[in-house]
Parts: sequence; C-alpha cells; structure tokens
Amino acid sequence: MTELMPILAIAWAAFPFFVGFSIYLLPKLDRFLGLVVMLTSVAFAGLIFWQRSPQTFQLLDSFGVTLTVDTLGGFFILTNALVSLAVLLYCWRSDKTSFFYTQLILLHGSVNAAFLCADFISLYVALEVLSIASFLLVTYSRSPRSIWVGLRYLFISNTAMLFYLVGTALVYKATHSFQFQGLGEAPPEATALIFLGLLVKGGIFVSGLWLPQTHSQAESPVSAMLSGVVVKTAVLALVRCALLVPAVDPIVRLAGVGTALMGVSYAVFEKDSKRMLAFHTVSQLGFVLAAPPVAGFYALTHGLVKASLFLVAGSLPSRSFKELNKKPIAFSLWSLGAIAAFSISGLPLLAGFGAKTLTIKALLPWQEIAMNIAAVGTAISFAKFIFLPKSTDIKAPGKLKTLLPAMVILLGGLVVGNVVYPKAYALDSTLKSLVTIAIGWGIYWGVIKKVTLKLPRGAERLEHLIGVMSLSAIALSLLALYFIPQGGLTP
Amino acid sequence: MTVPILEAFVFATVLCGFFGLILKKSLVMKIIAMDVMSTGVIAYYVLIAGRLGFFAPIAKGPDATVANGTFADPVPQAVILTAIVIGFSIQALMLVGVMKLARDNPTLETDAIERSYRP
Repeated sequence: MTELMPILAIAWAAFPFFVGFSIYLLPKLDRFLGLVVMLTSVAFAGLIFWQRSPQTFQLLDSFGVTLTVDTLGGFFILTNALVSLAVLLYCWRSDKTSFFYTQLILLHGSVNAAFLCADFISLYVALEVLSIASFLLVTYSRSPRSIWVGLRYLFISNTAMLFYLVGTALVYKATHSFQFQGLGEAPPEATALIFLGLLVKGGIFVSGLWLPQTHSQAESPVSAMLSGVVVKTAVLALVRCALLVPAVDPIVRLAGVGTALMGVSYAVFEKDSKRMLAFHTVSQLGFVLAAPPVAGFYALTHGLVKASLFLVAGSLPSRSFKELNKKPIAFSLWSLGAIAAFSISGLPLLAGFGAKTLTIKALLPWQEIAMNIAAVGTAISFAKFIFLPKSTDIKAPGKLKTLLPAMVILLGGLVVGNVVYPKAYALDSTLKSLVTIAIGWGIYWGVIKKVTLKLPRGAERLEHLIGVMSLSAIALSLLALYFIPQGGLTP
Repeated sequence: MTVPILEAFVFATVLCGFFGLILKKSLVMKIIAMDVMSTGVIAYYVLIAGRLGFFAPIAKGPDATVANGTFADPVPQAVILTAIVIGFSIQALMLVGVMKLARDNPTLETDAIERSYRP
C-alpha cells in the first residue's frame, strides 16, 4: 500500500480535472460525475486516516514537485470532500447548467491539489486555478454586480500572488528548491512576501477584508464552498510552513490571534446574516492558525459548520437580522441552523466542542486570553442565529427538501466528529465551554441586542485593500526580521 | 557588478506596477498596471536563471562539459513559463469581465462602479 501511495495520490489529484473537462462531452451526466469525484475524495481521505503514516514524495529532483500525504492534510481533504458533496446535493434539483458543475468539480480538484502539495510552485499553480474557478462560480449569475465582485477578487488575489512569486524566487535562489522547508534558509524577505500572498489569499487579518463582500455576494452554495474550504488552502500552507520551520511559527500564531479578534469584533456588530458569517470565517481561520499542530480538526469542524450555516442562510426569508427578528421562521429550518451554531459556539456533544478544547489546550500562554475573548465573541455572534423567533405552526419553505440531504452530511459529520477527541469531555473543559457560552449569550441579551453600531466599510474598497497589502508587507517584513534568526538583507 | 543594478531595475518595475494599481482610476489601466507588475516578476525569474551563465541549457555532443557552469539555470525559466500562462489567462478573463461591465459603466472608473454596486 505504501509503495502505491504516490501513484494513488497523483491519480486522485488529476481525476477531478479529467472528469471536469469531460463534462463538456457528457453534459447530461454532470451531477453523477460530480458525485463520483466527491465520493472518490471521501474514500481517499479515509485511506489517509486508515494508513496514518505521513509520507512525502518528491517527483523528479530537489527542484521537482513535492507532495505530502498526512493526517493533517487528511482532515482538510475530508472537509473539502464533505462540503463539496453537500453543495452538490443541495444543487441537485436546481436548474444549474452543466457549466456550474464543471466549475464546481474543477474547484474541488484544485483545492485537493493545494492540500496535497508541499512546494511553493505547485501551490501557486493550485491557488491560481482555484481563483479562476472561484471567479467563474461567483459570476455564475452574470449580473453586473457579481461580475464586479468577481473582478475585485481576481485583482486582489492576483496582486498578492505576484508578491508570492517574488518570495518564491528568493527561496529558490537560497536553496535551489521550492520546498516549504526552504523558508528556514531563505532570507527574511522571502518569508514576508510569501506570507503576504498566503495571508491575502486566505483572508486573514487586515489583508482579509476583501472576503466579506465576495463571500456574501455569491450564491449560497458558492459561499458555502468559498468559506468552507477555499480559503483553507492558503491556511493549510501557512500551517505546514509553521510546522516545518519553527522560526516562522510565532508569525503564524500572531496572525491567528489578530484575525480571530478582528473578525469577531466585526461579526458581533454585523446586521446582515451572510456578511456576519463571512466575517466569522475571517475570525475562525484564526483558531485554525493559532495552534498549528492541531489545525486539522478545527478546520474540519469549521468547514462543516460554515457550509451548513450558509446553506441555511440562503433558505431564510431575509438576509437582515432585523427583518428576521420581526417574523418567526419555521422550526425545522431553525433547528438545522441552530445545531450548526451550537457546534461552532462550542456546546458539548457536537464536534465543535472537541475542536475548540483541543485548540485552546495547544495555545501558548500569551495567546490564551485573546483566544478566549474570541470564543466569547463567537458565542455572542451566533446567539443572533440561535435566538431567532421560531414557531412550529409555520410551514417549512419548499427549499427544505433540497436542504435536507446536504444537512444530513454536514451535521452528521459534526456528530460523528466527536470520536476524534473524546478526551475533551473532562469536567473542567465542559464547564469552561458552558461558562463561555453563558457569558456570550448574556452579553448578547444585555448589550448587543440593544446597540446598533454601524462599522465603516471604507476599508473594503478595492484601492484600500491593495494599499493595505503594502502595509501588511511592511509589518510582515519587520516580524520576519525579528523572528528569523540569521537576519539581515540579502548580500 | 551589473547584477545589483539589474535587480534594482526589476524591483522598480514591480513597484511601478503596484503603484499604478493603487493610483490609476480606470479599471483597464489597473489591469495594465498589473501586467507591468507581472512583467517585473517574470524579469526577476529570468535574472535568477542567468546568475551562473547565459547559454541555453541544451547539451550539444561531448563538448557539453566544457561549458559547464556557464549554462543558464533551466528551473526558474520552466517555472515562470507556467506563471506567464496563468497570469495571461487571468488577465484575459479580467478583460472579458471589464468588457461586460463597460456596458453599464462606460467610463470604467473604479470609484463610480464601486459606489453603484455597493450592497
């Protein structure tokens, strides 16, 4: 089995692209081919967990492609497989054309490739293919507004990737290889530039302010894909760098803390459901980054929760919480959203609790206070979903039928996910999470519900987003010069 | 001796493109600025490839070892070829998007477009 792994991994990574393009020849089979691709990914993730031995293989020489198969990546691959499967089932009976399914499968394939590779150039190719596929999905409706949102996304991600390429060139200059390990021997500028690209691409901290508009303007199934898995490609690369090169670990952890606090403080005051979820992605990625060794499990639970909440939000009668609070919604719809919201707030019995406990235990002392505040903020912002008025008398909307199969997969994953870390159910951590949620809900009822605060959106303008990139570059350079020991500019 | 000067020119090109992205108002000009920036990045890879020598890395007969050490490094060239193709396709895609937007916003001014499509 071990010898077969390289061939299996390559075949699995290439499979979605073959299938995706053959849909043009067999447009009638689009959804079924998609189902085959997603199920193959579930099986491959299963294989990784069954094998458990991490493997890295190099194709060609030191400058060739490097692939890594390990359980950390396995969690991310499983997230991608489950979320894509749920999105596919959600769209099964809609009138989407085969073009949509082609792009969905290509997006799935490029995300898989990004999770598999362990060198900067393969990652670059995967990230760029992924941004093209995301652009085509965001602009699927062809309305001028969606085209503008898509263009804005391409501008920002392409500019960031150009900086990333310069950083990659510096790594090659220093080590004659593109592997992630090379970051340790490369000059600090390389780290700064590569991290700038990855932070923007991953939607982290101030460089991630492009994310709320893109994710909230897309259609719900597309938002679920973008927020659930697509941003995690850059996050996994950052996590892998932090694990391979201890010198950059503090930078990654710091970015995690910063984005967790920034995202949650926007999310708490947001009045639009989809924008709130998108800001929350910015915040939750911080939890994934804050503790690199245990990033996989948190990414899995976040992906499942965020995808299910976006799908539920798409079925709600309105996007504004103010409107939703006026009229009760169907109990069945509410319960689906509430299970996901309970999980992300860290309520015991759901996988989100295990993931949060695992992450908080793996934090360094200086991170703990900030991350606990972020956890309270999470509880506050999801109280908006949990305390929506509901009633059993109202008939569920017709969309519930299309929603159900997708939710069975996502929420089922949250229940089954408990087996990953059963040790979380100790008395102290259970109590701690309950207290966190109680404080959060208390603040929601006491303060947030009465306050209307409109945060300025100026920072989300295209020019400001690109300008902020240069500020991030300066900040990252300073951090890199401080944390990377050999220091100094390249001779 | 000339390499640092060339390097300075390359980074100046990258920065010119980047400032163009911020300072130019029209979407088409922004895309051109992005192209300037990517030209700079490509030139940087070519510069790195030419660190040891400028000969095309093609071994010709038994004399190949004579020129050892003066060949250009083939790896950055191969890599940047991929990046050129990707960058080119993304720019093509963006121009198609801009053409679609131009129907409703003939001036293609970023500020105006952003104002009209704000949710």
